[in-house]
Amino acid sequence: MTTPVFVIVGGGPCAASAAATLRSAGFDGRLVVVAGEPVVPYERPPLSKDYLTGHLDGAELPVRPASWYAEQGVELRLGERAEGIDDRERVVQLAGGERLGYDALLLATGGRPRPFEGLQGSAGGERVAYLRTRGDADRLAERLRQGEPLVVLGGGFIGCEVAASARRLGVEVTVLEMAQVPLERALGAQVGSQLAEIHRDAGVDFRTGEQVQSVSETADGLVVTTDRSRLECGLLLAAVGMLPNTEIVTGTSVKCHNGIVVDEHCRTAVPGIYAAGDVAAHYHPLYGRHLRVEHHDNAIKHGAVAARNMLGEDIAHDDPHWFWSDQYEHNLQSVGFNEGCDEVVVRGSIAERSFARFCLADGQVRAVVALNRGRDVIAARKLIASGLRVSAAALRDESVDLRRLARAVVR
Amino acid sequence: MTEAQQWVWTPVMELDELWEGDLTGVQVGTAKILLVNVDGQIRAYENRCPHQAWPLDQGDLDGRELTCANHHWVFDALTGKGVNPDDCALRSFPVKVDDDGMICVAVP
Repeated sequence: MTTPVFVIVGGGPCAASAAATLRSAGFDGRLVVVAGEPVVPYERPPLSKDYLTGHLDGAELPVRPASWYAEQGVELRLGERAEGIDDRERVVQLAGGERLGYDALLLATGGRPRPFEGLQGSAGGERVAYLRTRGDADRLAERLRQGEPLVVLGGGFIGCEVAASARRLGVEVTVLEMAQVPLERALGAQVGSQLAEIHRDAGVDFRTGEQVQSVSETADGLVVTTDRSRLECGLLLAAVGMLPNTEIVTGTSVKCHNGIVVDEHCRTAVPGIYAAGDVAAHYHPLYGRHLRVEHHDNAIKHGAVAARNMLGEDIAHDDPHWFWSDQYEHNLQSVGFNEGCDEVVVRGSIAERSFARFCLADGQVRAVVALNRGRDVIAARKLIASGLRVSAAALRDESVDLRRLARAVVR
Repeated sequence: MTEAQQWVWTPVMELDELWEGDLTGVQVGTAKILLVNVDGQIRAYENRCPHQAWPLDQGDLDGRELTCANHHWVFDALTGKGVNPDDCALRSFPVKVDDDGMICVAVP
Protein backbone atom coordinates (compact mmCIF):
# COMPACT_ATOMS: atom_id res chain seq x y z
CA MET A 1 0.00 0.00 0.00
CA THR A 2 1.26 3.45 -0.81
CA THR A 3 1.33 6.28 1.70
CA PRO A 4 -1.83 8.38 1.54
CA VAL A 5 -1.40 12.03 0.61
CA PHE A 6 -3.61 14.74 2.08
CA VAL A 7 -3.37 18.24 0.70
CA ILE A 8 -4.64 21.40 2.39
CA VAL A 9 -4.89 24.55 0.32
CA GLY A 10 -4.84 27.67 2.47
CA GLY A 11 -2.66 29.44 5.01
CA GLY A 12 -5.02 30.67 7.69
CA PRO A 13 -6.25 29.32 11.03
CA CYS A 14 -8.55 26.87 9.27
CA ALA A 15 -5.67 25.22 7.42
CA ALA A 16 -3.58 25.14 10.61
CA SER A 17 -6.45 23.66 12.60
CA ALA A 18 -7.00 20.95 10.00
CA ALA A 19 -3.30 20.05 9.90
CA ALA A 20 -3.09 19.87 13.69
CA THR A 21 -6.24 17.77 13.91
CA LEU A 22 -5.03 15.34 11.26
CA ARG A 23 -1.77 14.75 13.09
CA SER A 24 -3.32 14.54 16.55
CA ALA A 25 -5.91 12.10 15.22
CA GLY A 26 -3.09 9.86 14.05
CA PHE A 27 -2.80 10.57 10.35
CA ASP A 28 0.73 9.54 9.47
CA GLY A 29 0.60 9.92 5.71
CA ARG A 30 2.09 12.72 3.69
CA LEU A 31 0.52 16.05 4.62
CA VAL A 32 1.07 19.09 2.42
CA VAL A 33 -0.16 22.60 3.19
CA VAL A 34 -0.11 24.92 0.19
CA ALA A 35 -0.24 28.21 2.04
CA GLY A 36 -0.30 30.78 -0.74
CA GLU A 37 1.16 33.53 1.40
CA PRO A 38 4.88 33.60 2.13
CA VAL A 39 4.45 33.17 5.92
CA VAL A 40 3.45 30.28 8.20
CA PRO A 41 -0.32 30.09 8.84
CA TYR A 42 -1.22 32.94 11.13
CA GLU A 43 -4.07 34.47 13.10
CA ARG A 44 -5.97 37.20 11.31
CA PRO A 45 -7.97 38.76 14.19
CA PRO A 46 -5.03 40.88 15.46
CA LEU A 47 -4.46 42.37 12.00
CA SER A 48 -7.17 44.98 12.55
CA LYS A 49 -6.34 45.46 16.22
CA ASP A 50 -3.13 45.04 18.23
CA TYR A 51 -0.93 44.08 15.31
CA LEU A 52 -2.10 47.13 13.38
CA THR A 53 -1.35 49.47 16.26
CA GLY A 54 2.03 47.91 16.97
CA HIS A 55 0.95 46.48 20.32
CA LEU A 56 1.45 42.89 19.14
CA ASP A 57 4.66 41.68 17.57
CA GLY A 58 4.54 39.79 14.27
CA ALA A 59 6.25 36.87 16.01
CA GLU A 60 3.01 36.34 17.97
CA LEU A 61 0.86 35.93 14.87
CA PRO A 62 1.51 32.34 13.74
CA VAL A 63 -1.13 29.84 14.86
CA ARG A 64 1.70 27.42 15.54
CA PRO A 65 5.44 28.03 15.26
CA ALA A 66 7.24 27.01 12.08
CA SER A 67 9.05 24.34 14.11
CA TRP A 68 5.75 22.58 14.79
CA TYR A 69 5.27 21.80 11.11
CA ALA A 70 8.79 20.40 10.88
CA GLU A 71 8.33 18.28 14.00
CA GLN A 72 5.00 16.96 12.76
CA GLY A 73 6.28 16.26 9.28
CA VAL A 74 3.89 18.70 7.66
CA GLU A 75 5.18 20.02 4.34
CA LEU A 76 4.56 23.74 4.33
CA ARG A 77 4.57 25.19 0.85
CA LEU A 78 4.88 28.87 1.64
CA GLY A 79 4.35 31.42 -1.09
CA GLU A 80 3.10 28.72 -3.44
CA ARG A 81 -0.28 28.99 -5.04
CA ALA A 82 -2.61 26.20 -6.05
CA GLU A 83 -4.17 27.13 -9.35
CA GLY A 84 -6.57 24.37 -10.15
CA ILE A 85 -7.76 20.87 -9.53
CA ASP A 86 -8.18 17.86 -11.74
CA ASP A 87 -10.89 16.15 -9.74
CA ARG A 88 -10.88 13.03 -11.91
CA GLU A 89 -7.19 12.39 -11.60
CA ARG A 90 -7.15 13.76 -8.05
CA VAL A 91 -4.40 16.24 -8.69
CA VAL A 92 -3.80 19.79 -7.49
CA GLN A 93 -2.05 22.01 -9.98
CA LEU A 94 0.49 24.37 -8.42
CA ALA A 95 1.45 27.70 -9.99
CA GLY A 96 5.03 26.55 -10.46
CA GLY A 97 3.88 23.67 -12.65
CA GLU A 98 4.06 20.90 -10.05
CA ARG A 99 1.15 18.47 -10.00
CA LEU A 100 0.35 17.26 -6.51
CA GLY A 101 -1.65 14.06 -6.30
CA TYR A 102 -4.02 13.73 -3.34
CA ASP A 103 -6.19 11.17 -1.63
CA ALA A 104 -8.07 13.86 0.25
CA LEU A 105 -8.05 17.57 -0.44
CA LEU A 106 -9.17 20.36 1.86
CA LEU A 107 -9.91 23.76 0.38
CA ALA A 108 -9.43 26.42 3.04
CA THR A 109 -8.73 29.21 0.60
CA GLY A 110 -10.55 31.93 2.54
CA GLY A 111 -11.40 35.10 0.73
CA ARG A 112 -10.23 38.47 -0.42
CA PRO A 113 -11.63 41.95 0.16
CA ARG A 114 -14.46 42.93 -2.10
CA PRO A 115 -13.08 45.63 -4.39
CA PHE A 116 -14.59 49.08 -4.05
CA GLU A 117 -16.00 49.98 -7.45
CA GLY A 118 -16.21 53.76 -7.11
CA LEU A 119 -12.58 54.67 -7.76
CA GLN A 120 -12.25 57.36 -10.41
CA GLY A 121 -9.59 57.04 -13.07
CA SER A 122 -6.23 56.27 -11.56
CA ALA A 123 -7.38 56.79 -7.97
CA GLY A 124 -6.09 54.06 -5.78
CA GLY A 125 -2.49 53.20 -5.38
CA GLU A 126 -1.06 53.59 -1.95
CA ARG A 127 -3.83 55.75 -0.58
CA VAL A 128 -6.52 53.11 -0.98
CA ALA A 129 -6.14 50.22 1.41
CA TYR A 130 -7.81 46.88 1.95
CA LEU A 131 -7.30 44.55 4.88
CA ARG A 132 -7.12 40.80 4.72
CA THR A 133 -3.53 39.62 4.90
CA ARG A 134 -0.56 40.36 7.08
CA GLY A 135 0.96 42.21 4.13
CA ASP A 136 -2.17 44.37 3.92
CA ALA A 137 -1.90 45.11 7.65
CA ASP A 138 1.78 46.07 7.31
CA ARG A 139 1.00 48.49 4.50
CA LEU A 140 -2.00 49.93 6.33
CA ALA A 141 0.01 50.37 9.55
CA GLU A 142 2.73 52.18 7.63
CA ARG A 143 0.17 54.59 6.16
CA LEU A 144 -1.56 55.13 9.50
CA ARG A 145 1.73 56.08 11.10
CA GLN A 146 1.92 59.02 8.72
CA GLY A 147 -1.05 60.43 10.60
CA GLU A 148 -3.16 61.59 7.67
CA PRO A 149 -6.96 61.55 8.05
CA LEU A 150 -8.55 58.18 7.36
CA VAL A 151 -11.90 57.48 5.76
CA VAL A 152 -13.29 54.00 6.29
CA LEU A 153 -15.82 52.75 3.78
CA GLY A 154 -18.11 50.31 5.52
CA GLY A 155 -19.10 50.11 9.18
CA GLY A 156 -18.76 46.34 9.43
CA PHE A 157 -16.45 44.54 11.83
CA ILE A 158 -13.24 45.21 9.89
CA GLY A 159 -14.17 48.85 9.34
CA CYS A 160 -15.08 49.38 13.00
CA GLU A 161 -12.00 47.61 14.33
CA VAL A 162 -9.65 49.56 12.10
CA ALA A 163 -11.41 52.80 13.05
CA ALA A 164 -10.83 51.97 16.73
CA SER A 165 -7.17 51.12 16.10
CA ALA A 166 -6.64 54.29 14.10
CA ARG A 167 -8.08 56.38 16.93
CA ARG A 168 -5.70 54.62 19.29
CA LEU A 169 -2.91 55.89 17.04
CA GLY A 170 -4.34 59.40 17.17
CA VAL A 171 -5.55 59.40 13.57
CA GLU A 172 -8.61 61.43 12.57
CA VAL A 173 -11.25 58.95 11.36
CA THR A 174 -14.49 59.15 9.41
CA VAL A 175 -16.58 56.02 8.91
CA LEU A 176 -19.10 55.97 6.08
CA GLU A 177 -21.82 53.37 6.46
CA MET A 178 -24.60 53.08 3.90
CA ALA A 179 -27.15 51.62 6.28
CA GLN A 180 -28.92 53.66 8.96
CA VAL A 181 -27.45 51.40 11.64
CA PRO A 182 -24.13 49.58 11.42
CA LEU A 183 -24.15 45.80 11.73
CA GLU A 184 -27.90 45.75 12.24
CA ARG A 185 -28.33 42.26 10.83
CA ALA A 186 -25.62 40.80 13.04
CA LEU A 187 -26.34 42.73 16.23
CA GLY A 188 -29.81 44.23 16.07
CA ALA A 189 -30.65 47.93 15.74
CA GLN A 190 -30.19 48.89 19.39
CA VAL A 191 -26.77 47.31 19.75
CA GLY A 192 -25.63 48.52 16.34
CA SER A 193 -26.61 52.08 17.27
CA GLN A 194 -24.77 51.80 20.56
CA LEU A 195 -21.66 50.65 18.70
CA ALA A 196 -21.84 53.76 16.49
CA GLU A 197 -22.11 55.85 19.68
CA ILE A 198 -19.03 54.17 21.13
CA HIS A 199 -17.10 55.26 18.05
CA ARG A 200 -18.48 58.79 18.21
CA ASP A 201 -17.46 59.03 21.86
CA ALA A 202 -13.95 58.05 20.80
CA GLY A 203 -13.87 60.91 18.35
CA VAL A 204 -14.81 59.07 15.15
CA ASP A 205 -17.04 60.93 12.71
CA PHE A 206 -19.31 57.92 12.32
CA ARG A 207 -21.82 58.62 9.55
CA THR A 208 -24.69 56.32 8.82
CA GLY A 209 -27.15 56.35 5.94
CA GLU A 210 -24.54 58.03 3.79
CA GLN A 211 -23.60 56.57 0.47
CA VAL A 212 -20.26 57.00 -1.27
CA GLN A 213 -20.54 58.04 -4.88
CA SER A 214 -16.95 58.39 -5.97
CA VAL A 215 -13.38 58.63 -4.82
CA SER A 216 -10.81 60.59 -6.78
CA GLU A 217 -7.18 61.38 -6.23
CA THR A 218 -5.71 64.84 -5.98
CA ALA A 219 -2.11 65.97 -5.78
CA ASP A 220 -1.93 65.44 -2.03
CA GLY A 221 -4.74 63.10 -1.10
CA LEU A 222 -8.14 61.70 -1.93
CA VAL A 223 -11.53 63.30 -2.30
CA VAL A 224 -14.51 61.20 -1.30
CA THR A 225 -17.86 62.35 -2.61
CA THR A 226 -20.98 61.02 -0.96
CA ASP A 227 -24.69 61.68 -1.52
CA ARG A 228 -24.40 64.33 1.20
CA SER A 229 -20.92 65.72 1.36
CA ARG A 230 -17.38 65.95 0.11
CA LEU A 231 -14.52 64.71 2.27
CA GLU A 232 -10.78 65.01 1.92
CA CYS A 233 -8.46 62.40 3.35
CA GLY A 234 -5.02 60.94 3.01
CA LEU A 235 -6.03 57.32 3.28
CA LEU A 236 -9.09 55.30 2.45
CA LEU A 237 -9.83 51.83 3.78
CA ALA A 238 -12.35 49.95 1.68
CA ALA A 239 -13.97 47.49 4.08
CA VAL A 240 -17.01 46.56 2.06
CA GLY A 241 -17.05 42.82 2.51
CA MET A 242 -15.22 39.75 1.35
CA LEU A 243 -15.37 37.55 -1.72
CA PRO A 244 -14.74 33.83 -1.22
CA ASN A 245 -11.74 32.44 -3.11
CA THR A 246 -13.53 29.77 -5.12
CA GLU A 247 -11.57 30.07 -8.39
CA ILE A 248 -9.57 26.96 -7.64
CA VAL A 249 -12.58 24.71 -8.32
CA THR A 250 -13.29 26.22 -11.72
CA GLY A 251 -13.60 23.43 -14.25
CA THR A 252 -14.31 20.76 -11.64
CA SER A 253 -17.62 19.25 -10.58
CA VAL A 254 -17.44 21.06 -7.22
CA LYS A 255 -20.47 23.31 -6.81
CA CYS A 256 -20.24 26.96 -5.83
CA HIS A 257 -23.00 29.19 -4.61
CA ASN A 258 -21.77 32.05 -2.45
CA GLY A 259 -18.74 29.94 -1.63
CA ILE A 260 -17.84 26.31 -2.10
CA VAL A 261 -20.93 24.31 -1.26
CA VAL A 262 -20.40 21.64 1.39
CA ASP A 263 -22.65 19.48 3.50
CA GLU A 264 -22.69 19.45 7.30
CA HIS A 265 -19.51 17.33 7.22
CA CYS A 266 -17.59 19.95 5.20
CA ARG A 267 -17.67 17.62 2.18
CA THR A 268 -18.25 18.81 -1.34
CA ALA A 269 -20.25 16.52 -3.62
CA VAL A 270 -16.98 15.41 -5.21
CA PRO A 271 -15.36 12.44 -3.46
CA GLY A 272 -12.18 13.37 -1.63
CA ILE A 273 -12.69 17.14 -1.78
CA TYR A 274 -13.60 19.12 1.34
CA ALA A 275 -13.96 22.83 2.01
CA ALA A 276 -13.88 24.73 5.29
CA GLY A 277 -13.69 28.17 6.84
CA ASP A 278 -14.52 31.48 5.17
CA VAL A 279 -14.77 29.94 1.70
CA ALA A 280 -17.27 27.23 2.63
CA ALA A 281 -21.01 27.60 2.16
CA HIS A 282 -21.73 25.03 4.82
CA TYR A 283 -25.01 23.27 5.41
CA HIS A 284 -25.72 23.99 9.06
CA PRO A 285 -28.00 21.32 10.53
CA LEU A 286 -29.23 23.62 13.29
CA TYR A 287 -30.40 26.26 10.85
CA GLY A 288 -31.44 23.99 8.00
CA ARG A 289 -29.59 25.79 5.28
CA HIS A 290 -26.25 26.72 3.80
CA LEU A 291 -24.44 29.57 5.53
CA ARG A 292 -21.07 31.06 4.80
CA VAL A 293 -19.54 32.49 7.93
CA GLU A 294 -16.47 34.72 8.08
CA HIS A 295 -15.40 34.25 11.67
CA HIS A 296 -12.37 32.78 13.42
CA ASP A 297 -14.05 30.16 15.60
CA ASN A 298 -15.96 28.83 12.62
CA ALA A 299 -12.72 28.51 10.65
CA ILE A 300 -11.02 26.58 13.46
CA LYS A 301 -13.96 24.24 13.98
CA HIS A 302 -14.57 23.65 10.30
CA GLY A 303 -10.92 22.77 9.87
CA ALA A 304 -11.08 20.24 12.68
CA VAL A 305 -14.34 18.68 11.46
CA ALA A 306 -13.12 18.44 7.86
CA ALA A 307 -9.87 16.84 9.04
CA ARG A 308 -11.64 14.10 10.96
CA ASN A 309 -13.97 13.39 8.10
CA MET A 310 -10.98 13.18 5.75
CA LEU A 311 -9.87 10.34 8.01
CA GLY A 312 -13.13 8.50 7.48
CA GLU A 313 -15.18 9.76 10.39
CA ASP A 314 -18.68 11.11 9.96
CA ILE A 315 -18.83 14.23 12.09
CA ALA A 316 -21.14 17.15 11.49
CA HIS A 317 -20.32 20.73 12.35
CA ASP A 318 -23.44 21.84 14.16
CA ASP A 319 -22.13 24.38 16.70
CA PRO A 320 -23.97 27.67 16.91
CA HIS A 321 -21.71 30.29 15.37
CA TRP A 322 -19.70 32.30 17.86
CA PHE A 323 -17.58 35.38 17.25
CA TRP A 324 -16.12 38.36 19.00
CA SER A 325 -14.95 41.83 18.15
CA ASP A 326 -12.70 44.00 20.32
CA GLN A 327 -13.03 47.75 19.83
CA TYR A 328 -11.41 50.25 22.21
CA GLU A 329 -11.84 48.78 25.70
CA HIS A 330 -15.01 46.97 24.67
CA ASN A 331 -15.49 43.28 24.02
CA LEU A 332 -18.44 42.32 21.86
CA GLN A 333 -19.52 38.72 21.42
CA SER A 334 -22.26 36.92 19.57
CA VAL A 335 -23.48 33.34 19.65
CA GLY A 336 -26.12 31.70 17.51
CA PHE A 337 -28.48 32.96 14.90
CA ASN A 338 -31.46 35.15 15.69
CA GLU A 339 -33.62 34.11 12.75
CA GLY A 340 -37.08 32.94 13.76
CA CYS A 341 -36.85 34.36 17.26
CA ASP A 342 -40.02 35.68 18.88
CA GLU A 343 -38.71 37.28 22.06
CA VAL A 344 -35.85 39.57 22.99
CA VAL A 345 -34.59 39.89 26.56
CA VAL A 346 -31.90 42.33 27.67
CA ARG A 347 -29.89 41.54 30.79
CA GLY A 348 -27.97 44.57 31.99
CA SER A 349 -28.01 47.92 30.23
CA ILE A 350 -27.36 48.67 26.57
CA ALA A 351 -26.97 52.38 27.39
CA GLU A 352 -24.35 51.55 30.02
CA ARG A 353 -22.58 49.27 27.57
CA SER A 354 -22.75 46.22 29.77
CA PHE A 355 -25.39 43.79 28.64
CA ALA A 356 -26.34 40.47 27.11
CA ARG A 357 -29.21 40.60 24.65
CA PHE A 358 -30.90 37.23 24.28
CA CYS A 359 -33.09 36.16 21.38
CA LEU A 360 -35.51 33.36 22.18
CA ALA A 361 -37.77 31.18 20.13
CA ASP A 362 -40.52 29.39 21.99
CA GLY A 363 -38.76 30.02 25.30
CA GLN A 364 -35.41 28.60 24.17
CA VAL A 365 -32.37 30.82 23.93
CA ARG A 366 -31.22 30.78 20.31
CA ALA A 367 -28.83 33.69 20.14
CA VAL A 368 -27.07 36.22 22.31
CA VAL A 369 -25.20 39.42 21.59
CA ALA A 370 -23.26 40.78 24.52
CA LEU A 371 -21.07 43.76 25.23
CA ASN A 372 -18.51 43.45 28.02
CA ARG A 373 -20.35 40.40 29.35
CA GLY A 374 -18.09 37.53 28.40
CA ARG A 375 -19.14 35.46 31.38
CA ASP A 376 -22.78 35.70 30.35
CA VAL A 377 -21.80 34.58 26.88
CA ILE A 378 -20.09 31.45 28.23
CA ALA A 379 -23.30 30.61 30.08
CA ALA A 380 -25.40 31.51 27.05
CA ARG A 381 -23.45 29.11 24.86
CA LYS A 382 -24.38 26.35 27.28
CA LEU A 383 -27.98 27.47 27.42
CA ILE A 384 -28.23 27.52 23.64
CA ALA A 385 -26.66 24.07 23.40
CA SER A 386 -29.01 22.71 26.05
CA GLY A 387 -32.24 23.75 24.35
CA LEU A 388 -33.68 24.32 27.83
CA ARG A 389 -36.72 26.57 28.15
CA VAL A 390 -35.98 29.53 30.38
CA SER A 391 -38.12 32.40 31.51
CA ALA A 392 -37.48 35.93 30.33
CA ALA A 393 -37.66 37.02 33.97
CA ALA A 394 -34.79 34.71 34.98
CA LEU A 395 -32.62 35.90 32.10
CA ARG A 396 -33.31 39.53 32.92
CA ASP A 397 -32.76 39.16 36.68
CA GLU A 398 -29.12 39.93 37.41
CA SER A 399 -29.34 38.16 40.74
CA VAL A 400 -29.92 34.88 38.90
CA ASP A 401 -26.60 33.23 38.11
CA LEU A 402 -26.81 32.31 34.42
CA ARG A 403 -24.12 29.71 34.92
CA ARG A 404 -26.32 27.88 37.37
CA LEU A 405 -29.24 28.06 34.96
CA ALA A 406 -27.07 26.52 32.28
CA ARG A 407 -25.39 24.01 34.58
CA ALA A 408 -28.71 22.73 35.84
CA VAL A 409 -29.28 21.39 32.38
CA VAL A 410 -25.88 20.45 31.09
CA ARG A 411 -25.01 18.24 34.00
CA MET B 1 10.85 24.17 43.95
CA THR B 2 14.19 25.60 45.03
CA GLU B 3 13.19 28.89 43.49
CA ALA B 4 9.87 28.87 45.32
CA GLN B 5 11.60 28.29 48.64
CA GLN B 6 13.20 31.69 48.34
CA TRP B 7 9.80 33.21 47.73
CA VAL B 8 7.62 34.51 50.48
CA TRP B 9 4.33 32.92 51.45
CA THR B 10 1.68 35.63 51.57
CA PRO B 11 -1.74 35.01 53.11
CA VAL B 12 -4.32 36.29 50.63
CA MET B 13 -7.77 35.21 51.77
CA GLU B 14 -9.65 32.74 53.92
CA LEU B 15 -10.43 29.40 52.38
CA ASP B 16 -14.01 29.83 53.57
CA GLU B 17 -14.39 32.79 51.23
CA LEU B 18 -13.47 30.82 48.13
CA TRP B 19 -16.23 28.30 47.57
CA GLU B 20 -15.83 25.17 45.53
CA GLY B 21 -16.30 26.09 41.89
CA ASP B 22 -15.38 29.68 42.62
CA LEU B 23 -12.61 31.81 41.18
CA THR B 24 -11.32 35.20 42.19
CA GLY B 25 -8.55 37.64 41.50
CA VAL B 26 -6.19 38.88 44.23
CA GLN B 27 -3.19 41.15 44.23
CA VAL B 28 0.03 40.17 45.98
CA GLY B 29 2.51 43.01 45.78
CA THR B 30 2.62 43.79 42.10
CA ALA B 31 1.52 40.30 41.07
CA LYS B 32 -2.06 39.77 39.90
CA ILE B 33 -3.10 36.30 40.95
CA LEU B 34 -6.05 34.12 40.01
CA LEU B 35 -7.27 31.72 42.69
CA VAL B 36 -9.51 28.81 41.81
CA ASN B 37 -11.21 26.22 43.98
CA VAL B 38 -11.71 23.05 41.98
CA ASP B 39 -13.74 20.70 44.15
CA GLY B 40 -11.71 21.65 47.22
CA GLN B 41 -8.33 21.90 45.53
CA ILE B 42 -6.87 25.39 45.42
CA ARG B 43 -4.67 26.57 42.59
CA ALA B 44 -2.99 29.92 41.94
CA TYR B 45 -2.14 31.24 38.50
CA GLU B 46 -1.14 34.50 36.96
CA ASN B 47 -4.42 36.34 36.40
CA ARG B 48 -3.69 36.85 32.75
CA CYS B 49 -4.82 34.91 29.74
CA PRO B 50 -1.80 33.92 27.61
CA HIS B 51 -3.85 34.86 24.54
CA GLN B 52 -4.36 38.59 24.97
CA ALA B 53 -3.62 39.22 28.63
CA TRP B 54 -7.22 39.70 29.73
CA PRO B 55 -7.79 38.97 33.44
CA LEU B 56 -9.03 35.43 33.90
CA ASP B 57 -11.11 36.14 37.01
CA GLN B 58 -13.76 37.56 34.69
CA GLY B 59 -14.04 34.09 33.16
CA ASP B 60 -15.93 30.98 34.07
CA LEU B 61 -14.99 27.93 36.10
CA ASP B 62 -17.04 24.82 35.35
CA GLY B 63 -15.64 21.71 36.99
CA ARG B 64 -11.98 21.63 35.94
CA GLU B 65 -12.64 23.83 32.95
CA LEU B 66 -11.54 27.45 33.17
CA THR B 67 -12.74 29.62 30.27
CA CYS B 68 -11.49 33.13 29.56
CA ALA B 69 -14.45 35.47 29.10
CA ASN B 70 -13.22 37.43 26.11
CA HIS B 71 -12.15 34.87 23.54
CA HIS B 72 -13.05 31.61 25.26
CA TRP B 73 -9.62 30.07 25.57
CA VAL B 74 -10.07 27.04 27.80
CA PHE B 75 -7.64 25.74 30.44
CA ASP B 76 -7.50 22.83 32.83
CA ALA B 77 -7.92 24.61 36.16
CA LEU B 78 -6.05 21.87 38.04
CA THR B 79 -2.92 21.85 35.88
CA GLY B 80 -3.04 25.23 34.14
CA LYS B 81 -2.52 23.48 30.82
CA GLY B 82 -4.33 24.76 27.76
CA VAL B 83 -7.26 22.64 26.60
CA ASN B 84 -8.31 24.74 23.66
CA PRO B 85 -5.93 25.68 22.25
CA ASP B 86 -3.74 22.95 23.72
CA ASP B 87 -0.36 24.49 23.03
CA CYS B 88 -0.32 27.02 25.86
CA ALA B 89 -0.35 27.07 29.65
CA LEU B 90 -1.04 29.37 32.55
CA ARG B 91 1.82 30.45 34.78
CA SER B 92 1.23 28.85 38.13
CA PHE B 93 2.31 29.90 41.62
CA PRO B 94 2.80 27.75 44.72
CA VAL B 95 -0.27 27.85 46.93
CA LYS B 96 -1.21 26.30 50.30
CA VAL B 97 -3.80 26.58 53.01
CA ASP B 98 -2.19 27.24 56.42
CA ASP B 99 -3.32 26.03 59.86
CA ASP B 100 -5.53 29.09 60.31
CA GLY B 101 -7.45 28.31 57.12
CA MET B 102 -5.76 31.08 55.15
CA ILE B 103 -4.90 30.59 51.49
CA CYS B 104 -1.25 31.54 51.05
CA VAL B 105 0.48 32.18 47.75
CA ALA B 106 4.20 32.30 47.09
CA VAL B 107 5.26 34.93 44.61
CA PRO B 108 8.72 36.12 43.64
